[in-house]
Amino acid sequence: MSPLQKIAVGFDGSGDAEAAVRWAFELARQVGADVVVVHAVGLLEYAANRGAAVELEQTVERLTREAGIDPARVHWHVGDGDPCSVLIRAVFAPVAADLLVVGSRGQGAHAGLLLGSTSHELAEHATVPVVIVPTGREGQ
Amino acid sequence: MLIVSGPTGGSEHDGGDHPERPARIAAVMAGVDDLHLGTDVQIVAPYVANPAQMARVHDTAYLDELAAFCQAGGGQLDPDTYASADSWSAARRAAGAGLAAVDALRQRDDGVAFVVARPPGHHALRDRAMGFCLLNNIAISAAALTANDERVLIVDWDVHHGNGTQAIFWDDPNVLYVSTHQWPLFPGSGTSQEIGGPRALGRTVNVPIPAGATGDVVRRAIDEVALPAIDDFDPTWVLISAGFDAHRADPLADLALSSGDFAELARMVAGFASRPGRLVLFLEGGYDLGALRMSVAATLGALLGDTYQPEDPTCGGPGAEMVDQARAERDGALQRAGPLAPSERRIR
Repeated sequence: MSPLQKIAVGFDGSGDAEAAVRWAFELARQVGADVVVVHAVGLLEYAANRGAAVELEQTVERLTREAGIDPARVHWHVGDGDPCSVLIRAVFAPVAADLLVVGSRGQGAHAGLLLGSTSHELAEHATVPVVIVPTGREGQ
Repeated sequence: MLIVSGPTGGSEHDGGDHPERPARIAAVMAGVDDLHLGTDVQIVAPYVANPAQMARVHDTAYLDELAAFCQAGGGQLDPDTYASADSWSAARRAAGAGLAAVDALRQRDDGVAFVVARPPGHHALRDRAMGFCLLNNIAISAAALTANDERVLIVDWDVHHGNGTQAIFWDDPNVLYVSTHQWPLFPGSGTSQEIGGPRALGRTVNVPIPAGATGDVVRRAIDEVALPAIDDFDPTWVLISAGFDAHRADPLADLALSSGDFAELARMVAGFASRPGRLVLFLEGGYDLGALRMSVAATLGALLGDTYQPEDPTCGGPGAEMVDQARAERDGALQRAGPLAPSERRIR
């Protein structure tokens, strides 16, 4: 098995997504991998808040400092689409991730139901391993 | 003769201040009324799509889950897409409105049908709601037609790529899917190198165009990239994913078309139908109510020989080079894929 080189982690600004980013940073530090923080721009975000991605990138910079990970190993990728589709595409170039990481529930997911769950959809459709980080477990 | 299937969705499936809202239906019907068609318009009641009709394009597990989700009160399905308690019945009527339109045209053998229904459909995947869409209305009608040995051309001029429709018919040689759409933009699919699956190589045509593109660029895309595939396919039915969010006033995207451009496009696409009574338009996007009303009136007017044209067609925007690039990339992808399907049109 080839070593883990690039981890893609979904980030929508939610607390669960922050937990997933922290977990991905910690794993990357341990195995020497790069992290690509992936943000999906949907229909409503494109229309209502075209600066949202910039604000989120600033949050990722803060999380990078807090984690003490080399900033050169952290990359920011914005893709058009729903979170699930954008993360599925992250397996291919230019991101070319060999592991996908998501929080247990992002924005818009409905508690207790599989329908609308990015993590569930990813687990079903992704062609690389998927890690779902439960809130509160990111440091473990 | 204009056949209006619906209207449906004018009060239900309400997400509050969401742009895909019930008031869109009133704007569309105002556009129909602007044509003063009198007895030249026939209103057809929508069917309610049944499980077998929906299951031609959606997984039954997804249908069951969506029904249960709505029955439990609904909620957000993803950051863009919501469902409410009455969305399941609204979506089934929207899908059934397409089926009713097809039946009405079959009975008359002339005229044009317009499916005035929401929620829209072209982003809905086989197993997932997406992009304001729950059931893929146009795909459900197209699948009903191919089940009856028809060859169906779908032209999708919504500003967003119809990823759901493309995916559903990706490997179906009896459906030709043609899309022009702003690029880059949601849903992020629809490159010119996406040309169809192994059994349907060339049966998907995508022409991405840049923000600011005007109507002449969209017409060029159809003419120069899609036309060879359409001629080769020789459709018996033409369905249009008629989104009007490529209008310059639309708040969700950045193309620069006018209502007059939709009229020009409608005339162009109507020419691909094998004979009268084989053209159905499905409402997809379009979120500025004034632009939606004007665009609907201009489109239907053009199809019915009316001179109603509230805005002139547009030209001079960017994108001609991108259309040329799309043609070259598609040709390259087709050459790499090898010989196309045999001349036998109908493939089982």
